Amino acid sequence: MEIRPILSTLLRSRTGPLLVALQVAISLAILANALFVVQQRIAVSQRPSGVVNERDVGYVFVRPLAQMSHVETLAQQQREREALKAVPGVLSVGWTSQMPMSRSGSSSSIRLSPEQARESATPAFYSVQPGFAATLGLRFVEGRDLNEADLLEYDPRTAGPDDGTPGVVVITLPLAKFLFPDATTYVGRNLWQGSEGRMKPMRIVGVVENLMSQGAGSLTGPYSVILPFRASLSFSRWAVRAEPGKLEQVLKDAEEAIRKAAPAPVRTFKRSVAEDRESRYRNERAMAWMLVSISALLLLVTLSGIVGMTMLRVAQRRKQIGVRRALGARWRDILRYFMVENFIITTGGIVAGLMLAVGLNRLLMAYTGMPRLPIEYMAYGAAALWVLGIAAVYGPASKAASISPAIATRTA
Amino acid sequence: MFRYYLLLGARSLRRNPALTALMVLTLAIGVAASVATLTILHVMSGNPIPHKSDRLLVPLLDVAPKRNYVPGLREPYSQQSTYPDTVNYLRSGPGVRRTAIYDIGGAVEPAKRDDPVIQLGGVATTSDYFAMFEVPFRYGSAWTPAHDERAARVAVLSPSKSEAIFGDVDPVGKTFRSWGETFTVVGVVGDWKPTPRYTNLTNGSGGYFNGEDQVFIPFKTAVSLELRSNGNTTCSRDSGVGYKGFLESDCVWIQAWFELASPADRPAAQAWLDHYAAEQRRGGRLERNAPNRLFNVTEWLEYMEVVRADNKIAVWLAFGFLALCIVNTMGLLLAKFSTRAAEVGVRRALGAGQGAIFRQFLTETAVVGIAGGVIGLLLAMVSLWLIRKQSQDLSVVAQMDWPMLAATFAIAVGAALVAGLLPTWRACQVSPALQLKSQ
Amino acid sequence: MLHMKDLTKVYRTHMIETHALRGFDIDVKKGEFVTVTGPSGSGKTTFLNIAGLLEDFDGGEFTLDGVNVKGLSDDKRSRLRNEKLGFIFQGFNLIPDLNLFDNVDVPLRYRGFSAAERRQRIERALTEVGLASRQNHYPAELSGGQQQRVAIARALAGSPPLLLADEPTGNLDSQMARSVMELLEEINARGTTIIMVTHDPELAMRAQRNVHIIDGRASDLRRGPSLVREAVNA
Repeated sequence: MEIRPILSTLLRSRTGPLLVALQVAISLAILANALFVVQQRIAVSQRPSGVVNERDVGYVFVRPLAQMSHVETLAQQQREREALKAVPGVLSVGWTSQMPMSRSGSSSSIRLSPEQARESATPAFYSVQPGFAATLGLRFVEGRDLNEADLLEYDPRTAGPDDGTPGVVVITLPLAKFLFPDATTYVGRNLWQGSEGRMKPMRIVGVVENLMSQGAGSLTGPYSVILPFRASLSFSRWAVRAEPGKLEQVLKDAEEAIRKAAPAPVRTFKRSVAEDRESRYRNERAMAWMLVSISALLLLVTLSGIVGMTMLRVAQRRKQIGVRRALGARWRDILRYFMVENFIITTGGIVAGLMLAVGLNRLLMAYTGMPRLPIEYMAYGAAALWVLGIAAVYGPASKAASISPAIATRTA
Repeated sequence: MFRYYLLLGARSLRRNPALTALMVLTLAIGVAASVATLTILHVMSGNPIPHKSDRLLVPLLDVAPKRNYVPGLREPYSQQSTYPDTVNYLRSGPGVRRTAIYDIGGAVEPAKRDDPVIQLGGVATTSDYFAMFEVPFRYGSAWTPAHDERAARVAVLSPSKSEAIFGDVDPVGKTFRSWGETFTVVGVVGDWKPTPRYTNLTNGSGGYFNGEDQVFIPFKTAVSLELRSNGNTTCSRDSGVGYKGFLESDCVWIQAWFELASPADRPAAQAWLDHYAAEQRRGGRLERNAPNRLFNVTEWLEYMEVVRADNKIAVWLAFGFLALCIVNTMGLLLAKFSTRAAEVGVRRALGAGQGAIFRQFLTETAVVGIAGGVIGLLLAMVSLWLIRKQSQDLSVVAQMDWPMLAATFAIAVGAALVAGLLPTWRACQVSPALQLKSQ
Repeated sequence: MLHMKDLTKVYRTHMIETHALRGFDIDVKKGEFVTVTGPSGSGKTTFLNIAGLLEDFDGGEFTLDGVNVKGLSDDKRSRLRNEKLGFIFQGFNLIPDLNLFDNVDVPLRYRGFSAAERRQRIERALTEVGLASRQNHYPAELSGGQQQRVAIARALAGSPPLLLADEPTGNLDSQMARSVMELLEEINARGTTIIMVTHDPELAMRAQRNVHIIDGRASDLRRGPSLVREAVNA
């Protein structure tokens, strides 16, 4: 089969093929960029929280309506802990100021030395009591968990600016690697925290593999510090691990147990980590979902474009095909003719589409801050359209190949 | 003549229903995708108070320490105001009205211990708030500046909370217990849902678009009850002891607003702020010497990045998709019109000018465009409904309005005409003589 | 009615110039029935295309019903075609998507008549050709002779002073051809000028006047009106 006659035919009636090539090009440009965005959003929404078996972990939040004293608050915390432990199906509980994936929490700046001008990082500050790490299932890669002896008793009513720094902390491995890029062990090193001139050290006693901060959407997502506090905050947040599959019931019972344990009316709510993740990444998943739908429609439209154009070209050349058949062309010769013709058109479109994809990406980078499109997404898109092109043309081409040679003798 | 073209177009479209359906559907999904994404962007970037958005200003001072100052770098320090600055703004700031807002959370104490607790999320603000943001009232009215002054225990409720607490009655004059005190209801807000929630974007009750403020109490009252912000508090330095230390600190946690009598007063307001900042610097504050900024409502929404980059990306990609659909329809129309060269030749011979042929085929294209627009609009509404189900954040913004409805039609018919231009032009080029000879 | 003087028409392709008409003269008077004959490639069709304002010419003079046609815009020529000319083609050229009524309606629409006037004219034209009862039929449902009658009705509906016919009987069997020819003669008898291209010598003889084209030039062969009468009666 010669390419030259096909090419010269294409060049003689070029509007239809040009339009199809243009469709392939636009499809590829959008597809490559859309797939890239989809992959990014899915990666974000599946980001690990650090919690092992997320679906068994949740928390109960409780805030008394009336203010209580420091001593009362700590006593109440103790009662709540015992009430929760008595709930059937509860494996472990831990007091914490915040939970990963929940979007609320505090962070603070840390330095590697007291003299340093600019902070080294601003990680999330998890204030916790022993039991927290076990409840979430945090994996220690070095050192130990925090214990009762580490706890710093803290009363926000009377605490001054320099009273809020415990002596020891646990940090996440990503934060450790960021702070000490050349080190292999981190336990025993100091982080500094506090106001200017009055910095206090916090010694690292343990490193956990991961614990997502409340800013889980950003690059600094897994930068967290876990600090041992027995604080009389105006609220308590209890992380709860339930026996597998029982979380929903356990959280319900836990909330009820806490209400019963309270001496006065309290505000409570409960949430599972899975629910927090769901609501946190809803936008990301909506975006991914929308772009996947657009991509699917895109391929469908392009498919219909290729099928339509091939059918038109077959219809225009029925007589010619009949003559060819009469002159001895085999079924597969005709099939191959249209397949090759379409392959040339699709390839032309793909070449233009690759350039268009880069152009579209540059526009998106300029106007929306989207990152640079990696080359592999262009390759995926190109492959998808090549396959689509071949699949689309097969039907009409095989129909063309079945045109009876008898048509040649008719005057149509 | 237009009716004749319309008739011809309809007849020709009916003759080839599959092809027509394909064209209409292709246009419709292209229109639907672009309209759905554009609607979200349009609502997100809407101006919530167009007639006075250039008279409402947010002041911002950069209060953080100098040592980690990187000029131009935007930090969370620069989204809200400190308590001392807010107090000064309220007392002597520029404009005809001034207010301060911060997020508060609480609950209505039940009469009996085992009754359910009704949660309350809302804002502490001043009496000017309601006039500044033109809040309508269903019952009662705003509290007075006198209430502000003496930190009175008064509250304005949202309709939903009023009903939850008191049932479907006028609650003005009734009381409820919260934050350990008894509050008297002075008013219930009417139907008021600014989109986005520009008055306090940094809230803890739903974010830029979702949720509502359920309770409003005087700013001084909240401070006297030592309520902290339920929204965002950012401290660039450590604060002093207890609530008093917190109030005196350089923590930013309050949203301040000025209302000017006229947009022309803005330079005067800027001068006031610069003067105020200079005074503070003499006292040792604001050591960064960063620019003192004022934002009107639209500038503020832009600064706070209310419109997410993803929404812009989606619009770009959706319009790319529409371009594809246009090219596709163009191909189909070209095929359709090319089979009618004979008809064009006859019509030309019978006295139709090129203009008449052009109008005839363009009318046919417009019929496709209108059909595509109607179906596209329906599809767009369905997809917006699906988006609302998918994403809570988008549930408020995925709403069609009249301008978008008009835009949908313009996009659909415009798309069809763009798609039809080349095929129509080609049809007009059919020369009458040539065509008749070949018969 | 139709006057051409020293008309030239040259077709140019990449390398070759073909003189389709050179120094072509013809003068058709109002009410005449003129047949045009000539061998293949002599310029018959070119003449008809130019006469029908379907194609432009390169030199010479051409006036149609007193209007100088030279250099008119496409729009003006379309208008003139619509008002002064009726066309009858060898291949009928009915629009297959339209029924008979709407086919006859086509030129009237471009003329801009009122709905009532169009209806009246269409019905009259279809009655004249004997097809009034079939106005809702589509061309595909008719025989060739009937289709040509519809085409004639369409040409007549706008009451043009001049009918141009291009081998109107070429696709018809002899019986149908005769009836179409008789119809044309009737129309001519009522005052419409007719120019008909044909290669059938018998038909050519039936007209008052025959113009023979050879190599792009016309040579006139006149006949007396009595001869025509005889031919009709024969």
